[in-house]
Amino acid sequence: MVRQMEAILQTIDLRKYFPVQRGINPFSKAKKFVRAVDGVNMTLWKGTTLAVVGESGCGKTTLARTIALLTQPTSGDVIFNGKSIVNGKTETRVVYRDLQIVFQDPESSLDPNITVGASIGEPLFGLMKWNKETVDKAVQKSLEVVGLPHDIADRLPGQLSGGQKQRVAIARAIGPQPKLVILDEPTSALDASVQAQILRLLLELQKEYSLSYMLITHNIAVAEYLSDFMLVMYSGDVVEYGQTEEIMAKPRHPYTIALISSAPIANPWKRNLLEVDIRGEVPSAINPPSGCKFHPRCPYAESICSQERPKLREINPGRLVACHFVEKTA
Amino acid sequence: MAPLITVQDLTINYASRGGAVTALDRVSLDIKENELLGVVGESGCGKSTLALAIIGLLPIPPARVQNGAIEFKGTDLVQLGPTRMREYRGTQIAMIFQEPLSSLNPVYKVGDQIAEAITIKKMREDGHSTVDSEIMQKTHKVVPPGVSKLPKAKRKIMPEIKEEVIGSLKLVRIPDPDQVIDRYPFELSGGMRQRIMIAMALSQEPALLIADEPTTALDVTTQAQVLKLMKELMKKVKTSILLITHDLAVACQVADRVAVMYAGNIVETSNVYDLFSKPLHPYTQGLLSCLPTGSKRKIVLKPIPGSVPDLRTPIIGCKYESRCAYAMKACSEKKPHLVEVEVDHKVACYLHGEANGSHTTNN
Repeated sequence: MVRQMEAILQTIDLRKYFPVQRGINPFSKAKKFVRAVDGVNMTLWKGTTLAVVGESGCGKTTLARTIALLTQPTSGDVIFNGKSIVNGKTETRVVYRDLQIVFQDPESSLDPNITVGASIGEPLFGLMKWNKETVDKAVQKSLEVVGLPHDIADRLPGQLSGGQKQRVAIARAIGPQPKLVILDEPTSALDASVQAQILRLLLELQKEYSLSYMLITHNIAVAEYLSDFMLVMYSGDVVEYGQTEEIMAKPRHPYTIALISSAPIANPWKRNLLEVDIRGEVPSAINPPSGCKFHPRCPYAESICSQERPKLREINPGRLVACHFVEKTA
Repeated sequence: MAPLITVQDLTINYASRGGAVTALDRVSLDIKENELLGVVGESGCGKSTLALAIIGLLPIPPARVQNGAIEFKGTDLVQLGPTRMREYRGTQIAMIFQEPLSSLNPVYKVGDQIAEAITIKKMREDGHSTVDSEIMQKTHKVVPPGVSKLPKAKRKIMPEIKEEVIGSLKLVRIPDPDQVIDRYPFELSGGMRQRIMIAMALSQEPALLIADEPTTALDVTTQAQVLKLMKELMKKVKTSILLITHDLAVACQVADRVAVMYAGNIVETSNVYDLFSKPLHPYTQGLLSCLPTGSKRKIVLKPIPGSVPDLRTPIIGCKYESRCAYAMKACSEKKPHLVEVEVDHKVACYLHGEANGSHTTNN
């Protein structure tokens, strides 16, 4: 992909720290923070899909929520569609319209008390300021696009299956004609056959409306299937970034290597899972290890790894890795 | 090799307001000694019901065993009463669940919980068939308040049992086991908790370990560690494992043999290599073509059309018929039986073998 690309989304040294109270004294001065997102620089190109992968607690969902202005960043900047959106620099209504989210669990992201049609229509009244007639038409169109029958608009979410609910959530997200859709674990709650339907639908929609996707997932197979670029996070840090195909073919950061070889693949002749050599577990985000946060689990770790935090550096054009000894994995 | 456990024509219903739900419909399967059998299927296919039936933990009612037998070492577990079943549960057949935090007791230290399991085993070996409620007193020596200088009596695990507890934690590779025994479940990570469950289950040296989605709540790198550990311990402790999972890839990675379930039926069983290289049942084929195994540029996912049938309405024929691309007239008229079409490869489909009802599974 050498052609010139335009960025739809950029983050500049984005940080989100959550304060935690230590002990029972509310006036205690010793404030600690969970560094959920610890200085993330990333770019999402228009019309492509960026997968943010990592294990639970690595900060991928907080990153998504910060970008979608569901929470204010501690520091850093988010450039969406060429404009900064942090601290009210762009009208939030515009951001909420152009940037939509599909959440993991449609059970809790759809209001159980209002009909599916009303759920899909609500953002169209509020954000698009359309009249009832236009909204009704748009709701029907959205349902058609996601492959649901028209009469489903009058039903309540409780009457639908998990796959149908996720389709409704997607219909609601694409209703206001967004430029970027954040997909937060869109298929994790679904069975394999339903997951395949949703993945296909997402690809079709992307093609038809030239959407950009930011896919948050812990499922490497889904990330590999859907994405063009991949961002690997570990304990709030970006450890590797590059084209998905390149990362899957040759991961360079020791954590990415461990993550990819831990992902089970449906090939009994390639039993990678039984050969994985990874020790320990994801560290606490309150007291992360010094230096490189992965060093206690890393097979290549040396003394510098526990002292100095490695910077994300470009090892090939478009390929960034944060590791002191990246040559060792070549 | 003779099967360790044989499930024969097991039919289980759940009573519900809209009529009885057939969770298992004449399920037959066997698990051989020292074998890891993976049971895969989507939610609601009956795989957990099968596991609960084998270990005798079905909620009866609403569940009801309508028909069938579970033969384990010459005994039919279905016919055993609750008291006799306790001789098997835990000692001969052990189980680990999806969410270890809800299977461990939150108010006891993990060391105490493992010690309890080990004491029960010892008492059983000494000829006590039932276990009394004073078990904690047998595992612990009570230090009276005056001696310990603490306001309340403090209990300590008996030294000889403590050694075994630490040994079992070492077996599941828990770092610093002598410190971990004094922790409460909430102080441990998900992976550690699941290892504790495995340690407790295997301390009984069971002949069969049932693992119901043991790694679904875990992260991928932890999942890899736990699955690898289970596979290694299986050889060490000489146990068979029944691994229930919704993740075909997980089953593919660790299982020796795989059974595919759909709407209360086993539709195909085979050794893992044949199942993934030449799946015979259209449902298995459909499931495999749903798996994303590469980039969108190379792979086209082919989702299975339609959805799982309502299990309250009885279906005479094949339950997959309404979604199947190869459905014939016979499919809606009579249910196909599992037939061995190749060595160790059984399938319930009219496309293969003579599954016309005259043959049943051969055990």
